[in-house]
Amino acid sequence: MNRYAMSIDIDKCTGCGACMIACAVENNVPPLPQSNDRKGITWIRVFPVDNGEQGDTRQSAFLPMMCQQCDSTPCASVCPQQAVQLDVKTGIVGQMPERCLGCRYCMTACPYHARYFNWWDPKWPAGMEATLNPDVAPRMRGVVEKCNFCHGRWHAAKEQAASQGKREAADYTPACAESCPTGAIRFFDLLAGTPEAGSFRLLEKLGTETKIYYRSKRAWVKGLAEAPDGKEHHLA
Amino acid sequence: MKYRGAIFFFVGVAAALALGWIGFPRVIYARRVQPVNFSHKVHAETAGSKCEDCHTLRADGSFAGIPGLAQCAGCHTAPMGSTVAEKKFIDEYVTPKREIAWAVYSQQPINVYFSHAPHLKLANLKCEKCHGDEGHADGPRVYEQDRIGGYPRDVWRSMLMKDCIRCHHQNGLEHSCLDCHK
Amino acid sequence: MSSTRRDLLKMTAGVAAGTLFTPAPWRLITDSAILSENWPGIFFSSHGAPTEKFTNCALCTAGCAVKARCVNDRPISLAGVVKSPICALGLAGLHMPFHTARIAHGDAENAAAAVRAAQGKVAVLDLRPGRTASWTYRRAMAALPGGIYLAPQRILNAVNLAAVKTLVSFGAPVLDGWGTPSKVLAAREHFSLIQVEKDQSHTGLLADRWIPVQPGNEPVVAQQIARDLPADGSSLFLSSAELPSVLKMNVTLGNLGHTVIARNETPVPAAWSKQAAAVHAIQNVADRSIGALLIDEASADVAVPWDVIAPKLTNSAVVITFASTQAGYGRYAQFVLPAAVYPEVTTDIPTAIDSVVATFRLATPLMAAPSGVVDAAEFVASLAKLDTKDALQERAASIHATGRGSLLSYSDQKSRPIKDVKADQFWTALNAGACWSDSESPLKAPRWEATIATPAICEAVRPKPPLFTKLYEESGLKGIAS
Repeated sequence: MNRYAMSIDIDKCTGCGACMIACAVENNVPPLPQSNDRKGITWIRVFPVDNGEQGDTRQSAFLPMMCQQCDSTPCASVCPQQAVQLDVKTGIVGQMPERCLGCRYCMTACPYHARYFNWWDPKWPAGMEATLNPDVAPRMRGVVEKCNFCHGRWHAAKEQAASQGKREAADYTPACAESCPTGAIRFFDLLAGTPEAGSFRLLEKLGTETKIYYRSKRAWVKGLAEAPDGKEHHLA
Repeated sequence: MKYRGAIFFFVGVAAALALGWIGFPRVIYARRVQPVNFSHKVHAETAGSKCEDCHTLRADGSFAGIPGLAQCAGCHTAPMGSTVAEKKFIDEYVTPKREIAWAVYSQQPINVYFSHAPHLKLANLKCEKCHGDEGHADGPRVYEQDRIGGYPRDVWRSMLMKDCIRCHHQNGLEHSCLDCHK
Repeated sequence: MSSTRRDLLKMTAGVAAGTLFTPAPWRLITDSAILSENWPGIFFSSHGAPTEKFTNCALCTAGCAVKARCVNDRPISLAGVVKSPICALGLAGLHMPFHTARIAHGDAENAAAAVRAAQGKVAVLDLRPGRTASWTYRRAMAALPGGIYLAPQRILNAVNLAAVKTLVSFGAPVLDGWGTPSKVLAAREHFSLIQVEKDQSHTGLLADRWIPVQPGNEPVVAQQIARDLPADGSSLFLSSAELPSVLKMNVTLGNLGHTVIARNETPVPAAWSKQAAAVHAIQNVADRSIGALLIDEASADVAVPWDVIAPKLTNSAVVITFASTQAGYGRYAQFVLPAAVYPEVTTDIPTAIDSVVATFRLATPLMAAPSGVVDAAEFVASLAKLDTKDALQERAASIHATGRGSLLSYSDQKSRPIKDVKADQFWTALNAGACWSDSESPLKAPRWEATIATPAICEAVRPKPPLFTKLYEESGLKGIAS
């Protein structure tokens, strides 16, 4: 049994986007067509945020956000196809593109905007298919996709453990945590460890019981997590 | 005639049943010949190989599946027997170092994740349970491929999702979508 | 008895009813769904034996160690090696060969003929000096009558980040693209960063202090800031445009020999130093004297503005550029010859700006380059009839012969002194992913001339991997400071 979670230090994040690239490479997100819809496909997405002031007192931070892996999933509860399943053995909220019919109700339900839609079939420049990761299936147009805590790597960890006769998956690291140059993202098992003291979750009052814990020494960052701040944020 | 209408009706039913059950499979499935006329019997009995000798689990737990050319070339750089099939194999594949494009009987869609390691090491299943008794066959089984969908007929017989689920249920194994899909 | 239409209808009804009890309609429905899953263009990956390969990233002079995860000997993802992460660009570097703007063909024969027929000097403009290829250019230009070797001049060449307590950066992207990520991040907690620039950059958002400046006012702002800093050699002034007035503050504050250092160059065979042409800055070349200009911009870190280059060319000059897209000097060149890109390329990487000791590391190919590619160094060497096929190995041998330094191999993370490594082991290790570092020696101050002209440097036009561009644009990380 596992309960996978992440702990992210916002103060360490420099907004470099390495996690975004590593995630896209690991999960076969296509570089074409150049999307002209609002959000594109970024299973993990770094949001620049600031404290709203100008000049010398302005402070910025970067917030890496992926599927918050809620224990009380708003997305699964609205899916007409049962294409989302909270796996009790691992705590991962699994997205099944093969069941998805593309109604995008889950995208509306997710308070974290962590779900992305394939408006077009994926296209890779000629020859690039050879660099695709065989452990993750590409998705066709018309389905929703999101972070699954690098299920391809989890499969590999389970397989390695099984070949040695063990039932518990070996430790593994998702692509974002592995690639973060500052070590801001930590992947761990809630059954074996705890988030750092002072950690908070995003929009806790919604009762989604997320498993992504954030921390920051700056009070205004914590304030962002508690409630939308009423200002316009461009997610595009 | 009293039952004239009924007779014509049932003649129609019979014709449809015959066409559907006998004619349709002939039409929908294309037969493909495996590139090499490989005999499991010769290798298992004469050469004394066991399944695991060629179909191995790698160090990281992944399954090597149908062995690559290197495995065959390990023994067959020169003819080991006197069959035409072996000579043809050496000429067409070993010498030019060309990988064999086997038609895979158990081919699954790309979004299916099946790992041999837990089934072999944790459940201790025998190869025959899912793949049938290949070990003593003298030549490759005939490969029939659905002309429209592209999947082999063998998959429909015993390797659909419901077959995996049935065995898992019978053995009381909890499973989730993520266990078998990628 | 004759059959009637009613009989036919009854039979048809029978056929329809019977069909429902056969597999036909159900299978056809399923197949139509399956067919839609197998459109042309849906990729079927093949599984294979997983392996790991090591190399060094050639996208910039940081030259970070790279671990490539491969399946069937094809790389499918890149990652850093322990304690040495790679940046976002490096992670996406795997896709560089598939850039849609990549040029596939070039007319190498006619380009060579044009160079041979040119009237006037033959010049090579090397936009990443310090490589073995750079030495090939210098040797070729010495051997060719009328040959000159040009490279962009930098005032600041080596810094010691560990000693920096205050870093004042005039436009240098310290936290997003400058230096070696692992070294900058390791030092970050020990220095306070002041970023001075016209428009707030990504680094500006993360700096401890951001100061907007109008272009032209930099000398004044630099002096103001320097006034508040101790003159004990613990500060560092950087300038992306290499402004002498800004960099001079390093002299004023006593940084030379502490945070700004002189570093030995990575050793070369003695024969090369004797045979090599001198390094010139293009501004110092006489106007209208260059008849053939060969520009190596394939791995450019900086570029030289075209309006500085153009006056030096004769009226009938031929310009040849080695690049992977038309976007750089291709706009002005008569011949654009396609270059190999990382991760296809075999080259060595010059020492990074923030390395205190000289280094030597190779970028070894993870995949084969396409057939139309032209190797710039070989092209230039063939013009001068030089054989430089084994240049990299010769340089490695001369490094090994010095007996100095140590070799860090990535596969086992072990560092061994050169004395314990045989010459052929050294070469094999370098090709399997390793880094040679010179022995540490006391820090020296660089020579600093009293008056230095502003080097003619501008940002190079460099293709970015397609996935990098797409994700940056979609997420708004590009241009966030606006």
